[in-house]
Amino acid sequence: MKKLSAINRSDKKTAFLMLLPLIGLLTAFVIIPLFYAVFVSFYKWNFYQENIFIGFENYRRVLSDPLFYKAMWTGLKFAAIVIPAQFILAFLFANLIRTLGGKFGGFVKTSIYIPHVISGVVASIIFLFIYDFDGGLANFIITSLGLEQVAWLADVKFALTSISIPAIWLGFGLTTLVMLAGLNDIPKTYYEAAVIDGANAWHKMIYITIPLLKNIFLYLLVVGVTGAIQQFDLPYLMTGGGPLNETMTPNLFIFTHFTKDPYMGYTVASALLLFVILAVISAVIFKLFNSKKMDS
Amino acid sequence: MKEKVSRYSFKIIGFLVAAISIFPLFWMAMAGFKKESEVLSYPFKFFPSEWILTNYIELLQNPAFMRSIGLTLFVAVVATTLIIFINSMAAYVFARLEFPTKNFWWLYVIMTLFIPSMAILIPSYIVVAKLHMLNTIYVLIIPGIASAMNVFLIRQFYLNIPTELEDAAFIDGANRFKIYWYIFLPLSVPVFVLVGITAFLGYWNSLIWPIMTISDERLYQIMQLLAYFRSDQGNDWAMIMAGSTIAVIPVVVLFLIFQKHLVEGIKISGIK
Repeated sequence: MKKLSAINRSDKKTAFLMLLPLIGLLTAFVIIPLFYAVFVSFYKWNFYQENIFIGFENYRRVLSDPLFYKAMWTGLKFAAIVIPAQFILAFLFANLIRTLGGKFGGFVKTSIYIPHVISGVVASIIFLFIYDFDGGLANFIITSLGLEQVAWLADVKFALTSISIPAIWLGFGLTTLVMLAGLNDIPKTYYEAAVIDGANAWHKMIYITIPLLKNIFLYLLVVGVTGAIQQFDLPYLMTGGGPLNETMTPNLFIFTHFTKDPYMGYTVASALLLFVILAVISAVIFKLFNSKKMDS
Repeated sequence: MKEKVSRYSFKIIGFLVAAISIFPLFWMAMAGFKKESEVLSYPFKFFPSEWILTNYIELLQNPAFMRSIGLTLFVAVVATTLIIFINSMAAYVFARLEFPTKNFWWLYVIMTLFIPSMAILIPSYIVVAKLHMLNTIYVLIIPGIASAMNVFLIRQFYLNIPTELEDAAFIDGANRFKIYWYIFLPLSVPVFVLVGITAFLGYWNSLIWPIMTISDERLYQIMQLLAYFRSDQGNDWAMIMAGSTIAVIPVVVLFLIFQKHLVEGIKISGIK
C-alpha cells in the first residue's frame, strides 16, 4: 500500500496532464470571469470605448437603485413561497409513500419525479396556458366555484404566487424522493424502541424522524433557497418581470440590465452583490439550523 | 379495520398526487392534438373532440424546428461525454495520486462550487466574446464542461473503490492513466449515469446562456427556440403545445430508461 502512495516523477507528470483540461477550463470560464467581474465592476466599461476607472460608483448606483432592492426582495419572497410549500408537501408525501410498496409505490415515485426533467421554459408554457384569462383551466375552476375570473399573471396581488406554482411543481418530486431516501435510512429499531417507551406517532416524528433528517433538510434548504432566489426562466417567459416589477427576480433584473445597458459595470456590480447576499443567506441558514439543534 | 381504511386512503392520496404531477404534461400533449379553435375552448376539455395530427406533422417537417432539436441533441451529447471524461479524470487524480501542490489544486477546484453562475454570467459572456466564440457551437459546449460538483461526486465514488484492484495492475506494470482507463472507467457506470443525466438535462434545458450568446438562428437551442416561438406565435397554442411536447420527449424517455439509477444516484450524491 505504501508503494502506491509514494511520490514519483512519472506520477506527478501524469497527475498534471490529467488535471490540465479541468484546471484550464475552470480557469478560463470560472476563475478569470470572477476576477474580471470584480475588475469590471470598478469601471465604466463597455465593448466599444476606453474604460474609465470610477471606483465604487457602480456599487453606489446599484445600492441607491430602488429596483435592485425590489428585485432582491422579490427573490426572497419567491423563495419564501416556494420552499416552505415544497418542504411541507414533500415531507408529508415522503412519509406517505413510505407505506406504499410494490408496483403502485413505484408508479407514484416515477410520476412525481418526471417533472424534474422538464425545463422552466416548458413549465412556463404549460402554466401560461393554464392561467389564460378566458380559456385557461385556473379560471375555469374559479368560475365553476362561482368566483370572478382572475388575471393570474397581470394582477399584482397574484403574479408572484402564480409563478411560484410551476416552481413548486418542478421541484416537488425530487425533494420528496431525497427526503424518502433519508427516511428509509433511519433504522426501524429506533421506532420500535420508542414504541416500547410509550411514544406515539407525534413523538416519533419530533424526536426521531426530524432530528435524523437534519442534514437532508439543511442540504435541501440551502440548495432550494439559493436556487429559488436565482429563478430566471419562469418570470422571463411568464411575466417578463411584470406587473410593476412584481416578479422581477434578481437574475431577471441582471439579465434585463445586461440587454438594455451597454455599460457592463453596473450589471456586474449588481451580480456580485447578489453573490454576497446569497452567501450570507446560506451562512444564516447553516447557523440557524445548527444552533437550533444545540438547544434541543 | 382502522389500519385498512388508512391504507386505502393513503393509496388514493398517492394516486391523486401522482396524477396531479403528470397531468400538466399529458394535457400539453393532448393540446397538441387539438384544433386551434378548440385549445382554449370553454368549458374545459381534456381530450380533443376531434384528434388532428397536423400540428405534430407540421413541426416534424419544419426544418428550423428539427434542426434545433438535432443540434441541441448534438451539443448535449458531446458536452455530456466531455463532462464525464474530463471531470472523472481529475476526480481520479484527486482520489488516488499524490503530488506536491495537490491540496492547492483541490481547493482551487472546490472553491468554484461556491460561485453562483449568475455572478460570473456577464464576465463569462465578455470572455467568450473576446475569444470570438459568440454564435459558434463552441460557446454552447465548452464553458459548461468543467464542474467542481461533478469532480467532487466522482471522487467520492472513487474513494470507495478498494485499492486491491489497482495493486494487481501495478504489479503488472500498468501506468496511472491505464489504471484509470481500464479499471476505474468501467467501474464508474453508476456515478456516470447520475452525472451524465444531470449534465444532459442541463444542456437540453438551458435557456439563459443560449439567449445571451446565440443570435444566429441556425444555432438556436431547443428551449431558446420554444421561448421565441412562444412570443412570435402569440396565441397558436395548439402548435406551441405540440412543439413543447416534442421537446420534452427525449428527456422523458431518457428519464424512464435511467430512473432506477437516478434514485440510486440520490444516495450516491452522499447528501446524508
